[in-house]
Amino acid sequence: MTQKTDVPQGTLALMVLKTLESMGALHGYGIARRIEQTSGDLLSVNYGTLYPALLKLEQEGCIASEWGVSDNNRKAKYYKLTRAGRKQIEKEARNWEQTTAILARFLSPDAKPL
Amino acid sequence: MRWLRGWCIRFAGLFYKEHRDRELSDELGSHLQMQIEENLRAGMKPDHARREALIKLGDIEQAKEKYRDRRGIPALESLLRNSQFGLRMLRKTPGFTAVIVLTLALGTGVNTAIYTVDYATLLAPLPYPKPDRLVMVWSSLQGHRIRVSAADFIDWKRQNTVFQDLNAWSPDDFNIATQDRPEFVQGMEATPGYYGMLGNSLFLGRNFLPREGEPGREHVVILAHRLWQRLGANPKIVGQKLRINGVPHTVVGVMASGMEDRRDEELIVPLVFKPEHLSHDSRYPRYFVVVTGRLKSGVTIQQARARMEMVAAHIEKVNPQNNQGLGALVEPFKNDFFPGERQLTLWLLLGAVGLLLLIACLNVANLLLANGTTRHREVAIRNSLGAKPAAICAQFLTESLVLGILGGLTGIAAGYAMLRGLVAVMPPHALPPEADPRLNVPVLLFVLAVATLAGVLFGCVPAWYASRLDPAGVFRDGGRAGIGVARYRLRQILVIAEFALALPLLAGAGLAIHSFWNLMHVDLGVRTDHILGFYLFPLDGEATRINSLYRRILAGIEGVPGVTEACAMTYLPLEGLHWEQPFTIAGQPAYAAPSLRPVADLQSVTPGYFKTFGIQIVKGRGFTDYDNASISSRVAMVNEDFANKFLKGVDPLQERVVMQQQSPGEPGPAIEWQIIGVFHTVKSRESREDNPEIDIPFQRMGMAMPEAGIGVRTTEDPATMIKGITKAVNAVDSQAAVYMPRSMEQVHDEVLANDRFTVILFSSFATIALLLAAVGIYGVMAFGVTQRSHEIALRMALGATRNHVVALVVKEGIVLSCAGLGLGLIGAWFVGRAMQSALFGVGVFDLPDLGAVGSVLLFSALAACYIPARNATKADPMIALRCE
Repeated sequence: MTQKTDVPQGTLALMVLKTLESMGALHGYGIARRIEQTSGDLLSVNYGTLYPALLKLEQEGCIASEWGVSDNNRKAKYYKLTRAGRKQIEKEARNWEQTTAILARFLSPDAKPL
Repeated sequence: MRWLRGWCIRFAGLFYKEHRDRELSDELGSHLQMQIEENLRAGMKPDHARREALIKLGDIEQAKEKYRDRRGIPALESLLRNSQFGLRMLRKTPGFTAVIVLTLALGTGVNTAIYTVDYATLLAPLPYPKPDRLVMVWSSLQGHRIRVSAADFIDWKRQNTVFQDLNAWSPDDFNIATQDRPEFVQGMEATPGYYGMLGNSLFLGRNFLPREGEPGREHVVILAHRLWQRLGANPKIVGQKLRINGVPHTVVGVMASGMEDRRDEELIVPLVFKPEHLSHDSRYPRYFVVVTGRLKSGVTIQQARARMEMVAAHIEKVNPQNNQGLGALVEPFKNDFFPGERQLTLWLLLGAVGLLLLIACLNVANLLLANGTTRHREVAIRNSLGAKPAAICAQFLTESLVLGILGGLTGIAAGYAMLRGLVAVMPPHALPPEADPRLNVPVLLFVLAVATLAGVLFGCVPAWYASRLDPAGVFRDGGRAGIGVARYRLRQILVIAEFALALPLLAGAGLAIHSFWNLMHVDLGVRTDHILGFYLFPLDGEATRINSLYRRILAGIEGVPGVTEACAMTYLPLEGLHWEQPFTIAGQPAYAAPSLRPVADLQSVTPGYFKTFGIQIVKGRGFTDYDNASISSRVAMVNEDFANKFLKGVDPLQERVVMQQQSPGEPGPAIEWQIIGVFHTVKSRESREDNPEIDIPFQRMGMAMPEAGIGVRTTEDPATMIKGITKAVNAVDSQAAVYMPRSMEQVHDEVLANDRFTVILFSSFATIALLLAAVGIYGVMAFGVTQRSHEIALRMALGATRNHVVALVVKEGIVLSCAGLGLGLIGAWFVGRAMQSALFGVGVFDLPDLGAVGSVLLFSALAACYIPARNATKADPMIALRCE
């Protein structure tokens, strides 16, 4: 069995936003499952990380929530992306690409400064 | 902007908590159920599925906690929670709370009151439009500011480039008697633009017009609101006539009430210079005025100063004889007539209440520390239940913050009451008329900030101790120990600090009392008992008739039963009114310029003056009726101070003084006056200093000035004689107003009123400081005794006598207070130095004073230690030991 890790600091928000972008409105459990699946079950999302992150995104206006009913008739809170959230995705995605590109330089064996 | 939105939502998250909590529980619950269902679908058994889901999703309570922290503002929430808890704790110990709040309220209350007075007097802008543009312009001679001669004023105005407006004024007395009611008021003559330049609006009518400053058009008057009310508050008074000095004047305006009503001056008439006043030549009469100006916008006071120096230098060049050495001074218009030592007193009082607040804060810190000790068990339990040291610290700090704010608010209320009381009992003229001491926002914020800061600062120490407490130790020792030597040490240090602060305050009060004692017992040179003094302003100012009028009035007064002697003089003794007269001594080398001549107070008196006031003639003789009646007799008397300063080593009776003017504003050639007698110096200016004085026969000055002071020696209480004497005066002249009849004792009292008031304030502050320091040392000793009850019981069981135990405790108290007193000496020295110029006849380090206040402090410390010490010995040693 592979070792599951917690979500790295600062990445969860983008994952949530991307998930909502591709899946539309989703409840908390759905978001968590989707992130785990997308990561190839390398990540494990628990309450303590997910819900404060959702709250933060909602406070900042990136997502909005609404009570609804799930497929198997269970009451659940659905989250969906707002327009501000879409903009935020572009911004954060750019940031991450830049960060990973920079890190990649350090990690590649023949790292040279530009 | 996104973060701002976030914070707003988080702030909103502080409310409707229960609803939000329920929603979160629902959401997490459905999340859990979905996970379980997923696990079931994966083929797990029901209880296994649930277990796995719980493990995967982590601690639900911790998640909720994290969510809540994110939802609201945790710091604010814990602050609110702590304050709620704090308030509950404070309610549970009402005595403790009351003592702390009252102590803080006392400290902040006196600060509110004194700071308000100081702010209004020394710091607040003057109540005029653009007050920073107003300046005083003085002539300067040898570094002293002096009044300006009319001629100089006119030249200044002519050469002015820096002032938007420049006006001259001079205080004066006016008789506004009508046929049936003699009345005498103080007022001023001012150039027409004066009141308008200051910029305050009128209640009725208008300001003077420029042409009302021309001769012949000057019979107009502006009344103070107060005088207008006294005259019947006629709303149609503008345009009506009022007889002033017997001449009808048209009322053109009435000033607004408020500040103007706090002045002595109750009316303004235009100041018109007589043509002969406008010459620089000192052989002609000079008329001296006070000059106030308003700077042009953009002109700084330095520029105005430079310009006026140039103007003065130019005038000096043109008139070298009369203006030699005369410069010009431009000063900000602020408290110009408010004596420097009284300003100093206001700062000193602020310092005193500041010290008082510090002592109060130390006391509060002491009480909080003691209270912290009794709460060890509570802290230990919290600690064991997982409260972090920071949380405990925050809780204690919040409690002291709540106390600080409560104390501050109570202090403001107390301060308001004290301020009202202070203003009510304040002697007249204690503050300049512009000062309006009332509570205002800067003062309130200042006080509240001080109280809050005090609460936090002095809550820090107990909070720190509480957060470091070792719970295991507390439980082991049954909640009694774990107090630590360090904490007790700290309380000892606080007591030492209290005494070190209390001593300077008490020493200051001691110095003030000593100085006041000296002032009260200063040799006035006159008797004050059984003498009535008042001013008289006869309307018939005709020079030739005035002397015979006074002769008849004095004769009339002397005819009243109970009057033994009556006299007339220019100025009553003690009050401080005086006329400064330049003079030379005949035969001594001439001065380079007339403006360099020395000056003496010039007084004119009838022969009965010395007898009426009991003034001792130490050499030669006094005036006779012949001296007084004869225009040709040129005899003068000088006081001892004059003889000591100007006639040292010669026989005064052989000397002559030379004066050019015999009375204010009157011309005259230089006249030599033969000195015929030397009299004991009479104090004239607030009893503080000796001034050289020249007295001449009354008729010489009476010719020019109709108003004069009258002194009457009576056999009865002078107050009961006022009616009879007034009747006798008005029998001679029905319109001669008797102004301010007072016994000389009353005059003396009024002269000392401000000093007495200051002494009372200082003494009350010192008393409060003393009480606080005593309570402080009592608290520490009582606490120490309780802590040591075990040890004391052991000692007593082993045979120590009560006296021995009492001595043991008292000794510690004495050591603490002595250490404090030793440190306090340094502060006392600084206080003495700061007070020096306000003191009379007392040194900086006055040993008897220090000894007295030191023993008072020490004695109260002794008493405060004795009570707990005696209580300790009363306890039965067996009970104390069994308690353990």
